[in-house]
Amino acid sequence: MNEALVQIKDVGKTYAAADGQFASVLSGITCGIEPGARIALIGPSGSGKSTLLHIIGGFVPPTEGQVSWPALGVQEDFLPEKIQAVFQAPSLFPALNVRDNITLPLLLAGRSAAPGFTPDALLARFGLSDLALKLPEELSGGQAQRVAMLRALSVSPRLILADEPTGQLDSKTAQQFLTTVIGVADEIGAAMIIATHDPAVAARMDQQWSIDHGRLFVDTNKGTAL
Amino acid sequence: MTYLWIMGLLRHRLMRLVGSGFGIAVTVALLASLGAFLASSTATMTERATSAVPIDWQVEAVPGADTAVIDAAIRKAAPVREVEQVFYAGTDGFQASTGGTVQTTGPGKVVGFGPEYLASFPKEIRLLSGSLGGVLIAQQTASNLHIGPGDPVSITRIGLDPVLVTVAGVIDMPDADAFFQGVGLPSQAAPQAPPDNVILLPTAEWRRMFDAQTALRPDTTRLQFHVHLDHAGLSAQPTTAYAQVTGEARNLEVQVAGQALVSDTLAARLDAVRGDALYAAVLFLFLGLPGAALGAALTLAITASSAGHRRSEQALLRVRGASAGRITGLAAVEAVMVSAGGITVGLLAATGLARLGLPVWGDTRSLAVTASGAALVGLALGLIAILLPAWRQARTQTVTASRQSVGRKAAPLWQRLWLDVVLLALAAGFFWQSASTGYEIVLAPEGVAAASVDYKAFLAPALFWVGSGLLVVRIIVSAIGASGLVCRLLAPIAGRLASVVAASLATQARRITLGVAMTALAVSFGTSTAIFNATYQAQARVDAMLTNGSDVGVFGTAAAPASLQLAKLSSLRGVIAEPMQHRFAYVGSDLQDLYGINTDSIRNVAQLSDAFFSGSTAAQAIAKLAATPDGVLVSEETVSDFQLTLGDTLNLRLMGADHQYRAIPFTFSGVAREFPTAPKDSFLVANADYVAKMTGNASAEYVLLRTANDPVALATTVRAALPDMQVQDITHVTQIIGSSLTSVNLTSLTQIELAFAVLMAASAAGLMLALGFNDRRRSFAILTAIGAKRAQLGAFLWSEGALVFLGGSVLGLLSGILTAWMLVKLLTGVFDPPPEGLVLPFGYLALLVGLVAASVTAAVVLAEASLRKAAVDQLRDL
Repeated sequence: MNEALVQIKDVGKTYAAADGQFASVLSGITCGIEPGARIALIGPSGSGKSTLLHIIGGFVPPTEGQVSWPALGVQEDFLPEKIQAVFQAPSLFPALNVRDNITLPLLLAGRSAAPGFTPDALLARFGLSDLALKLPEELSGGQAQRVAMLRALSVSPRLILADEPTGQLDSKTAQQFLTTVIGVADEIGAAMIIATHDPAVAARMDQQWSIDHGRLFVDTNKGTAL
Repeated sequence: MTYLWIMGLLRHRLMRLVGSGFGIAVTVALLASLGAFLASSTATMTERATSAVPIDWQVEAVPGADTAVIDAAIRKAAPVREVEQVFYAGTDGFQASTGGTVQTTGPGKVVGFGPEYLASFPKEIRLLSGSLGGVLIAQQTASNLHIGPGDPVSITRIGLDPVLVTVAGVIDMPDADAFFQGVGLPSQAAPQAPPDNVILLPTAEWRRMFDAQTALRPDTTRLQFHVHLDHAGLSAQPTTAYAQVTGEARNLEVQVAGQALVSDTLAARLDAVRGDALYAAVLFLFLGLPGAALGAALTLAITASSAGHRRSEQALLRVRGASAGRITGLAAVEAVMVSAGGITVGLLAATGLARLGLPVWGDTRSLAVTASGAALVGLALGLIAILLPAWRQARTQTVTASRQSVGRKAAPLWQRLWLDVVLLALAAGFFWQSASTGYEIVLAPEGVAAASVDYKAFLAPALFWVGSGLLVVRIIVSAIGASGLVCRLLAPIAGRLASVVAASLATQARRITLGVAMTALAVSFGTSTAIFNATYQAQARVDAMLTNGSDVGVFGTAAAPASLQLAKLSSLRGVIAEPMQHRFAYVGSDLQDLYGINTDSIRNVAQLSDAFFSGSTAAQAIAKLAATPDGVLVSEETVSDFQLTLGDTLNLRLMGADHQYRAIPFTFSGVAREFPTAPKDSFLVANADYVAKMTGNASAEYVLLRTANDPVALATTVRAALPDMQVQDITHVTQIIGSSLTSVNLTSLTQIELAFAVLMAASAAGLMLALGFNDRRRSFAILTAIGAKRAQLGAFLWSEGALVFLGGSVLGLLSGILTAWMLVKLLTGVFDPPPEGLVLPFGYLALLVGLVAASVTAAVVLAEASLRKAAVDQLRDL
């Protein structure tokens, strides 16, 4: 059996609120993510989906519980090659054009793109070649989200975390886009967790994890933990 | 809403408020400080000019006039402090018998004054030997007659028998030119030389001896009223004071018409100072306004560096339904808050600087006008920097455009029109025009109340400054656009990220170029001011050295030459002593100063500038004199008056050891415009050995001292050792020279300028970078989120910092040196003598560039530290 990518046990997260009180965003989360997993993280706004994604990616530490990445090694080496994230808000580097933005993780990793995964090849594959020389501020919200996904895929990571990657796309475009993304993820063997409100998007994933008031509920026969 | 907005700004946008407020504070402080300097310097000039005049008015009564009426008229015309009656009588000469020989002088003057005169006009008479109580004789007359205190001398009255008096003291009359000036002469008349032979008597004795001569020959005697005005009510402005004093003198002339004539020496002095005051104003404009303009530009640039956030906030307000009026109103609130803070801090800083640096405060009205003007500029600046962009954005831009932070925009109009090159060409044209008129910027014709400044001359440096600033922008934009070049330059810093960093810089060219251009302008301003200041100070020292001869001058007389003390002076520690003869020689009937020098050693103590000589360098002129034992260097005026050509034999009459004048042949071997200790009009320079041989008198009246230590301390030591000698040090001379702007202490102006230049250069580089980084925290958080390590993040920051530092420093230094060269050329009238080249103050320039480097380093290091912390917080929004 493959080693789990991420193991989370009794994780909780609280933030200091403006009134000096502490707000609990997550509590008692226990789950595991296997290599190649396809997980939809669903739940209402403010339920803690983004926070959980950030904890899974190691971007922010939990305030309680334990997180480990058995198959990924030391946390300092996650970025940019092992884990890549697509954030909900615009996250392209504003001073670089689309092609340079997609190249950026490769340059940060200090290596060249794998065959078929060059920025231009990925843009062509997603039908976005005409955006190559555009600046992020010249893109629509949906275009920017798709480019951010291409940037994540460019380094062939082991785990892709995507926060509402289709939130600004119409349903048809979203489905087409998702199909291509899943195809590429399959090629590189990457696990993928997508936080989404869209049931149609969630349905494309193998597992649907719902989160509500900071609690995680797994609704799948492949779920590894509750 | 307004309250919420203000609180939000104070809580979350404090850095940008402080940044813009800082720019306004710098501009206001600089303007107010410079205004205070200008008021102070003109007040200083007026004070020095008026206090340096020994006799303000000389009112000469016509024969038979009612002196009581004249005295009353004087006291009515102006507030006076002292009025003294002085009697003058012409004589056929003086005679004295000493050592079995009889010496007779030519015609002379006998002056009579009351017992209070010496106290009322202390600068007129300086006692050299004996006492002031009784008959006094001028030094030159005593020398001619070989007499001293206690010796008898016969005064040959005109048309009467001689009278015998006994000398009580030998005196010097430092102000003899004015004391014996012709009163009531037309202003175009050539100045009269003071008499060679003078005796001064108490009034009673003068009247006993010369009342009879007055009765017999009234044309040979005259009565003057010497007047000291009360200067307390005089304006601090030389031009106003000149008009005031002239008006009072004219009023007196009307009152005493037909009774007396008036000579207004005070007005003449103020007349001369008006030009200096205008030059001070010109210096203020040349040196000060670029600084203020830079401060204003810096404020706009600093504000622009955080414009991204402002635009986004305003776009959000619009999206949420705020009207254009509401958005503009909120921006106005921010502008007024920032302006008020900046103005308060700026005026407080200016007050502190003025208290520290200014010896004299200008008049209250000038200071109030200066402070109000600076405050208004500060307010206008705040409104232009913050309110105007908000107003334009609210009315003309779409929300989407407002939220864009980088963007690709077409080259601005000025760039497409090549305005930078046009401005530089115009600057060259105006500069050439000023050069063709001999760089005469200030015209203050003697005796004419109106004075003028050639303001066109300002255009050259102003156009050059703006043109070079725009050229810097063009160069940087082009350089950043040439990504291959930038990649190569950034490779050592950015490594494999060089190409992407270069691309990032290219997209942000406007923002980065603004930082580089502001840094370059600030460095240019500091460099040009520092070079101008260093050159000015060096020339002020040359001027003082020219007047004093060396660090310390020991000035003796023919009767008591300083060279008698040469051994004692040479033995002083750390001192080089050089004797120099000071004799008088007749060129035809013209009596001139003659300086006998040792050509081998004079340069050990005296600084000889090439500008002192005409047709040759200093070294060539001295070498020629050394090669011609009987050679003489002659002033330009003498060459012109006597139609001399090089090689001509010049027969000069010098006094020999037997005290008789005899003709001595010299060979005209060069032209000297100026020479250490020599007067500015006409003088002669010859070989000391030849003068000694031909006159039989080897003594040297002067000894010049050079020291590596403090000249003031050396002068004090020499004065104590040689109480009978006149001793002057260069520091004192620098302070009292009144002939040019060297009399104005520019230290305050330049210290203010240099301090502000450093502050602005460091701010332009560091603060703008820091604000820019702060404005782009989100971008850097994104880099972190996709895997940029600390060093990789640093590559972006350090690359931008390096570009700002290198571009700003190199282009700023180049532009500053060129600007300084232009300023020195245009302000030639300030320098006396003109400088041979620019003096580069390497220490200050190193400090300037060093602080720019330090500010860039600080901005990058602080950004690195804050971004590490900020990335996690920013991720919550991603």
